[in-house]
Amino acid sequence: MLNKIILFCLLSVIYSHAIEEQRIQTVMDSKVKKVLDVLKDKKLSQKQKEQKSIRVMDGIFDYHTMAQISLGKKWKTLSSKEKKQFTHAFEKKIKHSYVDKLRLYNNQKVIIKALKKPKSNRITLENQIIGKSDTYKVIYQFYKKKKKNDWYIYDVRLSGVSIVQTYRKQFSDFLKTKSFSQLLKSL
Amino acid sequence: MKFILLVCALLFLQACSSKEVTTPLITEDKTSSSSPEEYTKECNSCDEDKNELTDEFDNEFEDEEKNIIDPLSGYNSMMTTFNDAVIIYALNPVAEAYGYIIPEPLRIGVSNAIKNINFPVRFVNNILQGKFQNSSDELERFIINSTIGIAGLMDPAAKYKNIPAHREDFGQTLGYYGVGPGFHIVLPFLGPSNVRDSIGIIADGYVSPLINVKDIVSYKIPDNLAQTIGITTLYFINRTSLNLGEYESIKKDAIDLYPFLRDIYEQKRVSEIDE
Repeated sequence: MLNKIILFCLLSVIYSHAIEEQRIQTVMDSKVKKVLDVLKDKKLSQKQKEQKSIRVMDGIFDYHTMAQISLGKKWKTLSSKEKKQFTHAFEKKIKHSYVDKLRLYNNQKVIIKALKKPKSNRITLENQIIGKSDTYKVIYQFYKKKKKNDWYIYDVRLSGVSIVQTYRKQFSDFLKTKSFSQLLKSL
Repeated sequence: MKFILLVCALLFLQACSSKEVTTPLITEDKTSSSSPEEYTKECNSCDEDKNELTDEFDNEFEDEEKNIIDPLSGYNSMMTTFNDAVIIYALNPVAEAYGYIIPEPLRIGVSNAIKNINFPVRFVNNILQGKFQNSSDELERFIINSTIGIAGLMDPAAKYKNIPAHREDFGQTLGYYGVGPGFHIVLPFLGPSNVRDSIGIIADGYVSPLINVKDIVSYKIPDNLAQTIGITTLYFINRTSLNLGEYESIKKDAIDLYPFLRDIYEQKRVSEIDE
């Protein structure tokens, strides 16, 4: 009996993970397609396109975690009000940058490639954007929230460059010479 | 009986877990929590979670205070400003005019042709790294694209036979064998580089048919330095005309341009070498 229980537990763990992984791929696939459709829709103005595509991607980006990682050690020294202000400003900045990039990749083809699971609570999903002269690799990085079973994006790598890592470095350099409130302003 | 109950319980749990997964991902039109007030709600429930995760993420990302050895930072910063001005005031307007005159399919053809001619660089470096399948892909691509693809203007190898190009240069080859990047150097016109990759550019120049080298004339297309510069300039103008606005968009993410460009260049190279 005990053996059977263990076996079932194991099987169910494996099976439930498989479902999660499949979900991520299909959901991301449909989201990317949706964004591309929005971008190709000639009836929409540029602004509408941007708002719509941000809304499609919104639920899966964890801006709070991204903001926190990007500040590194400094995060712990902030008051909760400052944390909120920073997260708010950072989210705006990221969205703005995302929209700006979308504008460039209006008519391009996206291929969803491999999904990998380097750790039990990490999943990476590789996309390929076929541009006019080059191919770009985009990797979405997901993490699993503890105690829950929700997967969220905490970083995006464009051609091997981590967005969060880049901000982390920049913020740290900035804070060496300037104050936190100046950083907030510059965002 | 116990057994059936157990199975039911397990199935139930499993259904729950898979349902939970769908919630955050599937709600497509969930509006963003963009006001600071809404963050309060969100954060009260997740702060504990966050603390546990912080350490894990800190290990995953590079230490933000890590010092980079950058003896040329003064010169590099100046050269970045120079290159930036060249791109904004010379390259972009010229590429825009060029793109206005020459239709896009032809410009894509030029881009393909230049890549095709540079095949020996990729071929040799793939071999040097022991990536023989990639080199044979490259050889096949070169043969198909040079013939059916009309001197490389088209890329039927990728389009119909699904053979991708495998970009490798000598800087990557050195990195593959464990040579570190050395300090960062911003090259005039060519942009960010480092000691290792600058050596790589020179070595690749010997192999590339598009760069003339004294005493090696057998398969080199340009006969002298002026022609080499001409071809390289055409390459840059053509590439920029196909990616107008890209540099400006990247630049907008920078707080301070030079360290930003240095950082993304070094990150990109690390990931290219890892592949």
